[in-house]
Amino acid sequence: MKIGKTMLMELKNSWKGFVLFILVVVLLVGGFAHAYPSFSEAFEDELEGSENVDVKMLKEDKEVNVTLNWKEIDNAENYSILVGKSPNMMVALERVDGIERPPHDYNLSYDEDGEIPKRYFAVVAVRAEGERELVGIETNFERTTAFQEIWGVDYGDIQGFLSLLWSTWWVLLIGLYIGYISVNVITKDYEEDRMDVILSKPISRRQYILEKFMVVSLYTLSVLVIIGLVLIGSVYSVGELNSVSSSALIISTLLSWPVFLVIISVSVLAGIYLESSRKAVGVSFIFILIQYGINMVGDLTEGLEYLKTYTIINYWDYESALYGETVGALDVIFLLVLSALLVVSALVIFERKDIPV
Amino acid sequence: MENEVVMRIRGLTKKYGDVVGIKDLDLDVHEGEILGFLGPNGAGKTTTIRTCLGLLQKTSGDVKIFGLDSHEDSIEIRRRTGYLPGDFGMYPDLKVKTILSYLLSQSGVSDESRMKELSERLELDINRKYGNLSKGNKQKVGLVQAFMADQDLIIMDEPTSGLDPLMQQKCYELLREEKAKGKTIFMSSHILAEVEEVCDRVAIIRNAELQVVEEIGSLKEKMGKKLEIEFENSVDPSLFSIEGVDDFEMDGRKATMIVTSNLDQVIKKISQQNIINMSLETFSLEQLFLTYYSRGGKGE
Repeated sequence: MKIGKTMLMELKNSWKGFVLFILVVVLLVGGFAHAYPSFSEAFEDELEGSENVDVKMLKEDKEVNVTLNWKEIDNAENYSILVGKSPNMMVALERVDGIERPPHDYNLSYDEDGEIPKRYFAVVAVRAEGERELVGIETNFERTTAFQEIWGVDYGDIQGFLSLLWSTWWVLLIGLYIGYISVNVITKDYEEDRMDVILSKPISRRQYILEKFMVVSLYTLSVLVIIGLVLIGSVYSVGELNSVSSSALIISTLLSWPVFLVIISVSVLAGIYLESSRKAVGVSFIFILIQYGINMVGDLTEGLEYLKTYTIINYWDYESALYGETVGALDVIFLLVLSALLVVSALVIFERKDIPV
Repeated sequence: MENEVVMRIRGLTKKYGDVVGIKDLDLDVHEGEILGFLGPNGAGKTTTIRTCLGLLQKTSGDVKIFGLDSHEDSIEIRRRTGYLPGDFGMYPDLKVKTILSYLLSQSGVSDESRMKELSERLELDINRKYGNLSKGNKQKVGLVQAFMADQDLIIMDEPTSGLDPLMQQKCYELLREEKAKGKTIFMSSHILAEVEEVCDRVAIIRNAELQVVEEIGSLKEKMGKKLEIEFENSVDPSLFSIEGVDDFEMDGRKATMIVTSNLDQVIKKISQQNIINMSLETFSLEQLFLTYYSRGGKGE
């Protein structure tokens, strides 16, 4: 009969701060998606004149035969080809001058590992008066950005761009706020001297904790639903909704909910045990920052990827959701079970606890 | 008291680590009475109340309220018990009406008429935000919430704390009305005049141990009366070596003593002397209380 009244009271007490938070997040997320077009252009990062040069490779036993073709330039007397490891031809490895016209064959030895070396080929037209003009630069490999190499995804597409959102400040922004309010829904009842009266009414301690947990969980879910919808709207407004489906956006957003449920559980547990907002918020924030830090180290450090399996963030598979619209059920179940265990621990502690004056 | 026992406490002990909050307490609160729980700060009053309500885990002992176990059946007990804590607090940003409606509904009551009636009676504006209220008005919110669900037992920790004298009188009036309706009230206080005014019985606690539980009238009776006599001439103090006369003091021609029995013998002895002035005074509860404390034990 009385189920939900503590939740409702908590909602009445804290909705203003929550609405303000949602507004901030909506502005940030909406703004983030609108940064995609210019971000995408920056990532296109095409080599100058690459459309004028064509590189074909023919693998042979000892060497790779590279055939270069290019668009001829009017008044060109001949052409030079520079071969380098980077687009900066100031440090070219080789230079071949006096090529009358395309195509030009170039032999490339395999490297020590038996792999085809990655090379940049610059074609330069030389005019009669000695004036030089770049025809174009092209590679014998598919170029990746530094981001792609580190994170393993292509940030040039909208999915990759959103992955950047999820993998960077998202967990910190939402996690720290959710951790803060999860602690406060408990500790404020201690600190503002209302726990005695609330628990003197015919409500079990179990129900009290579960309702507090549920109110923050629902807050979080509503933030995620709103963010999902804002993402759909903003991705649509930048004309990319044909590249990623609405359901992929919603699923990838909502899949972070179990991660936040664990954060809520840890924070509620800290609040119950420590009885002080300051101390419990400290514990909650340290937990989130450590999770975030370990996940970052695992992402960025070769050989330490295994560390990520010790963080809850690792079990939020937003990439599969964004690219394949799939849900890693085991990941979700793991996080839900972990959260449930933490809530049960909170219940056990609270049931046996002296309520402080 | 012939009435049924509403609250039966046996051997209740609560320790905070090595510190004893309450030790081996035996106490009965009877149906329809107002029992005042007296003691100085830190004596164990709040610990007792909060342990009985299950807010603190008892170390040992047994508490039965309405015949129900305070731990196993705590929800049923709380359904029938109103409580005003010593430090009452609520949501500062919410209106009093919202807060009271919530607390009332938590007690399973939907009719808000009594809540409104009590608020009007205590001159409490329920449309104001709780956080904007004065200390006295916050205490009124606490009083309203304790009484509004019309429960059988009301437990209160310092109910008139922060109230002005007029409101204190209204509170006493309310307590007497509840008693008249057959409600049982267990209240702690350190305001002795208040206990004397509204309580039927008093339990005095000192250093976590119960010292005495008595009806106020019979406690006063046991404690005797203070007799002051001014003689015309000096008298021989041995004149008052009578059983039942204690704390005899002679200051010039003025004698003071506490007479617990054999008052007739004292009167007979002094009638042989010339008396200028004489007064026989019953102890106030305050004097009784101070006597208990100055004697450092069970009033002996």
